[in-house]
Amino acid sequence: MEEILKVENLTKSFKLSRRQQKSEQTDLTVKVAVDGLSFSAYRGEIFGLLGPNGAGKTTTLRMLATLIKPDGGDAFIDGKSIISDEQAVRGKIGFLTSELKLEDFFTPDYLFGFFSELYGVDRTVRDNRKRILFSKFGIDRFAHVKLANLSTGMKQKVSLVISIVHDPDFIIFDEPTNGLDVLTAKVVTDFLQELKSQGKTIILSTHIFSLVEKLCDRVGIIIDGKLVALDTLENLTREQSIEDAFFALYERTARGSI
Amino acid sequence: MKNVLTIIKKEFARFFKDKRMIVTVLLPGLLIYLVYSVMGAVFSDSGKTDANYKYSAYVVNAPANEQFLNAFNSVSEIKEFASVDEAKKSVAEGKLDIVVVFPENFDAVLDGNSSAVPNVEVYYNSSAEKSVGGYMAVTAILEAFKDPAFSINSGGSFDLVEERDAAGKILSSIMPLLMFALLSSGCIAVAPESIAGEKERGTMATMLITPVKRWQIALGKIISLTCFALLSGISSFVGVILSLPKLLGGMVGSSAAAFYGVGDYFMIFGLIISVVLVIISAFSVMSALSKSVKEAGTMITPLMMVIILMGVGSMFLSGGSVGLYAIPLLGSGLAMSAIMSFTASPLGVALAIISNVAVTAALVALLSFMFKSERIMFNK
Ligand SMILES: Nc1ncnc2c1ncn2[C@@H]1O[C@H](COP(=O)(O)OP(=O)(O)OP(=O)(O)O)[C@@H](O)[C@H]1O
Ligand SMILES: [Mg+2]
Repeated sequence: MEEILKVENLTKSFKLSRRQQKSEQTDLTVKVAVDGLSFSAYRGEIFGLLGPNGAGKTTTLRMLATLIKPDGGDAFIDGKSIISDEQAVRGKIGFLTSELKLEDFFTPDYLFGFFSELYGVDRTVRDNRKRILFSKFGIDRFAHVKLANLSTGMKQKVSLVISIVHDPDFIIFDEPTNGLDVLTAKVVTDFLQELKSQGKTIILSTHIFSLVEKLCDRVGIIIDGKLVALDTLENLTREQSIEDAFFALYERTARGSI
Repeated sequence: MKNVLTIIKKEFARFFKDKRMIVTVLLPGLLIYLVYSVMGAVFSDSGKTDANYKYSAYVVNAPANEQFLNAFNSVSEIKEFASVDEAKKSVAEGKLDIVVVFPENFDAVLDGNSSAVPNVEVYYNSSAEKSVGGYMAVTAILEAFKDPAFSINSGGSFDLVEERDAAGKILSSIMPLLMFALLSSGCIAVAPESIAGEKERGTMATMLITPVKRWQIALGKIISLTCFALLSGISSFVGVILSLPKLLGGMVGSSAAAFYGVGDYFMIFGLIISVVLVIISAFSVMSALSKSVKEAGTMITPLMMVIILMGVGSMFLSGGSVGLYAIPLLGSGLAMSAIMSFTASPLGVALAIISNVAVTAALVALLSFMFKSERIMFNK
């Protein structure tokens, strides 16, 4: 198994502003969002990061995608450090998260071209990819409609396609089915499986157990910024469902931290 | 460089897709034109020439021919002056309409008893409406009596206008302030939207995860925003130029623009571009610091005041040492003022432009640095 992602002791805290302190109902001025995370992912697998709200999933993925810098530790994607070689990392990965928005004024067709250029995708390759991806997601029906006039599901499909214009080998999807109806969600999960069959490595975060059961080869359970379990789906679900396994772990950490 | 171009293309596509943006850019020019024109119309209403108006004239060697005198006196009223030069000065100052110098023995010419072809001189001031009217009325009468040969205003110059200087004086005092006010309002219309707006809406982050270098995004933004702000600035300037003659009436004729040579226009253009570069980069830095378009507007307003004050400052400092031109923005105000009053040195203008470009380079570097800072790009 070829290790394509190596995460070493990744740590990130946020300084809380007054407003954030109030909304989080805390007196702490610093929030440790990710606390010494270490794990690896192997080429061709789907790795699931499972955790409740506020566990630190998005923060971890944002660090891997070089959007923000860790306070401590490092991670290597295909041997490139997310800290010292961020430019190379950016070219290798595709990142989908609700934070990344596309401009409402443009059409899917325009945005595909724009991001292809930023990623340096060759024109003939680009047109071919656009045709395939647009027809797979049914985007060709609204390829020339401004995003402002599209539904949430349509926009999510466009975002997904845009995140992989450059055909990356390493794909990071943060809650990829959030806010989608069952039909659209199925299109997305089917696509993730197809990507896997093409040999891509996928890291996805979710709090939906069924998604993990359906898709993931290996699972890391993250609670309060710490990795509390890391194993294959098979091993984790040998004796109980993933749901029960999660709650057992959750109880244990809650008791441990009191 | 290809990435910078891609960013620029996107910014242009975005800009021209948004009809609201075009309105914010073009509206100021239109408003300025309308407001100034209405103001001008109100002012000039009081000074209309009526049909019974008699042009004030100083006459040398007035002929005695009754027929001619009747015609001449029907349009003009003779004024007394100590000397011809005194009278000419009054014409230049707009206090007297015309000076007519007849040749000696013009009666003989009118009676057809002269073999020579003498010249009648009619001095006027082309910047004063009434003076031009007087000139035309008098020459029309002269033409009617021209059967015995004589010439009118042959050889030499008889236009006593000093308008060039008057226009230069007015423009050099208002242009620096106008330039800063119009250009910074053009910049504030586009910078917050494109930088704080993209941050606020989360579309900037999408660009930040691509392998494009941050300085390329910064530079692409600055270049396109400069173009949009220039567009807005030019629209405002056109509004001003078109309405200036109406506003200032007789003081500055519509021909004021023709006093300046190609070199002057080159200097003005270079100056304006470099000023827009500085202002747009400064506003972009402010916008990058802000969480929202609204906050950016609030943060930029005091800076805009400072910039406009630079325009005021340059009114007081004009004529100072050339070293002052090296102060960014302020130096541009001084240079603009000097160009308008025909006293600009290419060195001073070059200093002003270079200082602006240097500041812009520093600000673009700062902006790229800010685009790298997660504290700034993702401040919540
Ligand atoms: N920019 C920030 N400033 C302050 N605190 C933050 C910031 N971003 C995240 N946090 C905090 O860090 C913690 C982890 O957040 P994160 O978004 O990573 O959780 P998550 O696992 O993705 O949760 P969810 O399922 O709700 O998306 C939360 O307590 C959150 O409030
Ligand atoms: Mg999240």
